[in-house]
Formats: sequence, C-alpha cells, structure tokens
Amino acid sequence: MSSCGNPAVEEQPLMPRECFQSCPPLSHSLGAGRSKFGKSKDCVRCRLQPGNIVIRHAVYCKECFTPIVDMKFRKALEPSVNARAGTSKRPKLKASGNLCLGFSGGLGSSILLDMVHNTYFSNRPPLDDSGKPRGGSNHPRNASVWPSCIVCYVEVCGAFPGMQDKTEDIRSVVERYPSFDFVPLRIEDAFDESWWTKVSGSNSTPQVWLELSKEGLITDGLHVASKVTGLTPVEATRLYLSSLPTQTAISSALQNLTRVLILHTAHSGGSSHLLFGSSLTSLSISLLSAISQGGGYAIREELQEEWAPVAASGSKPSNVLRVIRPLRDVTAKECAVYSWWNNVSVIGRDKQRRAILGIAALTKNFVVGLEKDYPSTVSTIARTCEKLEPKDAPSGQCRLCKRPMQSAIQEWKGRISIRSYSDDKLAADLAHIPLPCRSNLDTNTPSQVPPLLALTDFLCYSCHTTLTSRSSRGVKQAAPGVSSVTPLPIWVGDRGLHRDGLMGGGARRKIPEQEMLDTVANFLIDKQDDEG
Amino acid sequence: MAGTMTIKLVFSGGLELLFGNERNQSVLIPSFVPSDNSTHSSPSSSSSTSSSYNNTPSTGETKAADLEYLIYHLRDHLLKERSELFMENGTIRPGILVLINNTDWELEGEGSYQLRNNDEIVFISTLHGG
Repeated sequence: MSSCGNPAVEEQPLMPRECFQSCPPLSHSLGAGRSKFGKSKDCVRCRLQPGNIVIRHAVYCKECFTPIVDMKFRKALEPSVNARAGTSKRPKLKASGNLCLGFSGGLGSSILLDMVHNTYFSNRPPLDDSGKPRGGSNHPRNASVWPSCIVCYVEVCGAFPGMQDKTEDIRSVVERYPSFDFVPLRIEDAFDESWWTKVSGSNSTPQVWLELSKEGLITDGLHVASKVTGLTPVEATRLYLSSLPTQTAISSALQNLTRVLILHTAHSGGSSHLLFGSSLTSLSISLLSAISQGGGYAIREELQEEWAPVAASGSKPSNVLRVIRPLRDVTAKECAVYSWWNNVSVIGRDKQRRAILGIAALTKNFVVGLEKDYPSTVSTIARTCEKLEPKDAPSGQCRLCKRPMQSAIQEWKGRISIRSYSDDKLAADLAHIPLPCRSNLDTNTPSQVPPLLALTDFLCYSCHTTLTSRSSRGVKQAAPGVSSVTPLPIWVGDRGLHRDGLMGGGARRKIPEQEMLDTVANFLIDKQDDEG
Repeated sequence: MAGTMTIKLVFSGGLELLFGNERNQSVLIPSFVPSDNSTHSSPSSSSSTSSSYNNTPSTGETKAADLEYLIYHLRDHLLKERSELFMENGTIRPGILVLINNTDWELEGEGSYQLRNNDEIVFISTLHGG
C-alpha cells in the first residue's frame, strides 16, 4: 500500500492502519465518515422494533438478533454433518461418529459450546429407571445427530513458568452442560510418549531431536541428532519453545501443538466432526497471519478440512475427521453481543505476553482496527481466501503440523536464495553482517547436508520457516550451559525416520540422483576402461 | 449531590481485569463537564490513580456530560492498569463493544451520546477471541 503522504502516520513502521482513518482523501473515497447503518434505526428483519445492534450496516433488534446468529451457525455446520451429501434438500442429520469441540475459554468457543448444546443436545429425553430413553430407542425424539460430545481443552501453563493453570475453571464451565464430557489436555502432552501411545496405539515411536547452534537455536539444516533422554515433558516443551528463533515462531508453534493434540484426541476418540469456535474476525486474522508466515499452501485447511493421520503402509485407512468452524460467518462483535444477551459466561484466554511482538498479534491489531470502521473488509479477507486453491496436489503430510505439504520446497528455496557464500565477491560482503551471525554462514562448502539426517524433506514450508527463520533484530545469545539439542513433538517420529531413506511402512522417499551416484560411485565401471 | 448523575457500569469479556476485577460498578458524573474532557474536578476524583491522572487545565467551556467524557473519566479515575488497552486516539479502543441501555452505541451517536441519570453502560471486550 503506497503512502498517503499524511505526516502523522508516515513514521508508522509496517501496517499503517491509521492511514485509513486519518488520511482525508483515502478515507473519503472509502467512506469512513458515512453513517454506520442505513437510514432507519428500526430492525431490518421484523421492521417493528427499534434496533439494538448494528451488524455490518444492518440494524437488528434484540429478539431478531439471536435467531439470525443461530441460523448462520447451522448453515455453516449442517451441510457437513452427514457423511454423504445425498439428494434431499433437507436431509435428516446423522453423523457417522461422535462430536468433539475444541474449547479455549475464549469468546468464540464459549458461544460454540452453548450453541451446540442448545441446538443438538438440549432435548435429550429423560431416562427411565433402567437408564434407557423413555419411549424406546427407536422413538423419533430419541434420534440425535451425534451420540456423544467431548470437549477438549489444552492447558498451556506448562510452557510458561508462573502462568496460572486454568483447567479447573474450564472444567466448571463445561460441567454446566451435562451432555458434554470434558477431556483436559496439556501442551506438554506433545512430548509425552504415554499420551501418544494412548491416542495412536503405537508404543515404539522414537523421539526426534534436532541439533542446535551455539546460539541455542535450531540450525537451518534441521540436522537430526542422536537420541537424548532424561527430560520430563514439561522440560522438553520449554526447551523446544526456547530453541525457536522468533516470538512469531513461538506463537505459531503453540497453535500447531494445540491443534494437533486436539486432532489426535478427537480422531482416537471416534469423533467424526471436530468444531472450533473461530469467529469471522479470528478466522480472518489467522488466515492473514498464516499467509504471512508461509502457510499459504494450506490456507484451505485453515478454513475447513478433512483430516486423518497418515496410515502405515498395508494398514487400513483411518476414518476421516471433519474439522469445521461453524462461527466463520459470525463477527467478533456478534459473538460479544450474543454472549451478553444469552448470559454465556466467558472465562477468557491468557495472552502470552511475549506474543505481543509476533506476527499473529500484529495482524490481530490491524484486523480489529480495520473491522471497527470497515466491517465488510474482514469478511472480504475470509471470502477471498476461500477462493484460493493450490496448483498442484500435495506431496504428503507435514510431520510437524499435519497439514498438506507442497512438493519440491527445498528446490524452490534453492532457486530463490543464496545458499552459500563460496563466491569470492559474495564473501567480501560478509563485512556488513553482524559478527554473531557470520558463524552461521558456510563460506567453503555447498549447503547440502546429508539428507538422511535432516528433517527438511518432511516439513512444509511454513514449519521450516517457523523453525529456522531468524529475526532481523539479530540472533539471541545462548546462556552458558544451554542444551545442544532440542526435542520435537512426539508425532514427528511417527512411522520413523530411517537412515536408509525409508519412511515407516516401507514407503520410499525419492532419493536425489547425486546421492545415488555417491553411494555406488566405487562400483561404477569407467566408460573409458570398458571401451579400451 | 446536585448537578450529578449516577451511571451504572458493567465490564465484560476480560475488561474487568483492568478495573480491579469488578464487573459491576457505578460512578458519579457531573451533569456538565469541561468541553475538553478534563476530569480534574470530577466528583469521583478521590479514587484516581496517579499514573493516569489528567492534569490538563480546563479551558472554561462546558458541555452536557457525554459518553466521550465518561471514557476519559474511567481512564483517569477507575482504570487500574494498562490504559492503552482501554482507550486509543481519544476514544474507546477497537475491539471493545459499548452498549448504552442494551443498545449499540453506534445507534446512539457513539461518544456524543448525552448521559442520563441511571444509564447502564456495558463495555465488552471482543479481543479474547477463538
């Protein structure tokens, strides 16, 4: 976006949201000074009552508002309930498995809990003395869309010393809905073999470790290190997060850990649907933030996805879990008003103090400010992202974030960036690079690492960037005695990372031609010798 | 007290943390206030926090107490910490919804809404999303 010339905002570094609001020519053309609703203050739906709330220039009364939000919720969810679409315009809803709700304690997920209960679980028939539904199990009123519902919450206090544990507060909220079963998780479960054994059934998954540079950060080559033991899951979690290069990476890593923990819990529990309470505002923020961090390839999955863990070769394919965000058409303002008028209590989420500096927090600041004066813009972000589609089919599933992975990432990175400073002229330019950073640059050898000991081919571009992208503010200096390795989440080692290039289950990865030549070089007959 | 009004306040969505964790409060506001929103001589000034005290001298012109003044008053006399999370550029921070007697403040003229005795103003933060 070009500068508007307003001296009051020209000094703003990045995302000059204030440009929209303070620049007269731009704000005039975009209509910032116009009324925030139509001509009448009466409800546009019933046209009888005076309006109580303005939602994207439309005025609604209190009585009409709640049914409208409920309708948006059902419209976003119900087309995906049945396993097969069918031909009926209003099919009977019947899911193939249980329901799982991801609950954070925030505004959107609190409302999601309430809506799901009121819509699908509040009319459960009373039980007779034998514990069976009155009227018999085949009675029409006993038919339910999902037989049961679990609510998953991931406590993150283990990642930050001194943070309050809110699990019991969350439990007290969920217990208000007797139909729901509460399943508390902890962020450190991602490094806990016992949790992984419970959800995957596998008790032989190796823990993958990565080498760290002397600054205590993950190296660009993502070298797999020898096995190290002796860390508790909490220690492993904190070590992993402290080895990430930026605040953005820490926020992103926590989001990925939370999401994958819930995915596996839902899938292993027999759920056919997993719902998250992301509002339109939250969704727009996460979409922009994901794209900013190199996650554009999986942008469709950020909206909605059908997920299953990659099955080992020869084993039966897993059931698919549909991940849906039913509040994706409901703005944060609508969520707030809905919670107020329907007495939905919101505990709130603890903000990670350091995350204030990350891309996600900056994007949130920008989008929330934009929504105040231009509410339709937030909707436009989500609608535009819905139209995006990757050009090629994925080459697999990223080991870290469990999302589709683009093919030939490393080749593409090699074409667009300088990977070594072996050229004399380029080497002279090292003078402008701060001294602590120079040791990270290989000036003599090409940047090829033994692919058998590197994780690069198993990660998507976004995860690779999360682990290795350095801040422009320079590299942090490690404290004396810092660890030289860091663990990765336990699911990264699922199906193994074998030295002979085999992935788990016998599936082969494509071995580069040069590597194959190196392996058999000693056995090749020279053409000249043969002809002579 | 003559020339004052009682305004009922409700803080929700996490905003109560900035106001001493008290969801429901009330304040006394003078019927006429300085046009520049100076809160120096407010009836509730005894509970002010020194860090957010507005020492700007009044220019002498007055106006009927409105919501814009109330926001300054809350910042200067009730807010316990982090004023930037409540107020920005002279108005309520984006992401905070304001309801005046259960009605969106956008329908009531936003900051220019003139306060009346026993009005209920609700501030709801939408920033703890997801």
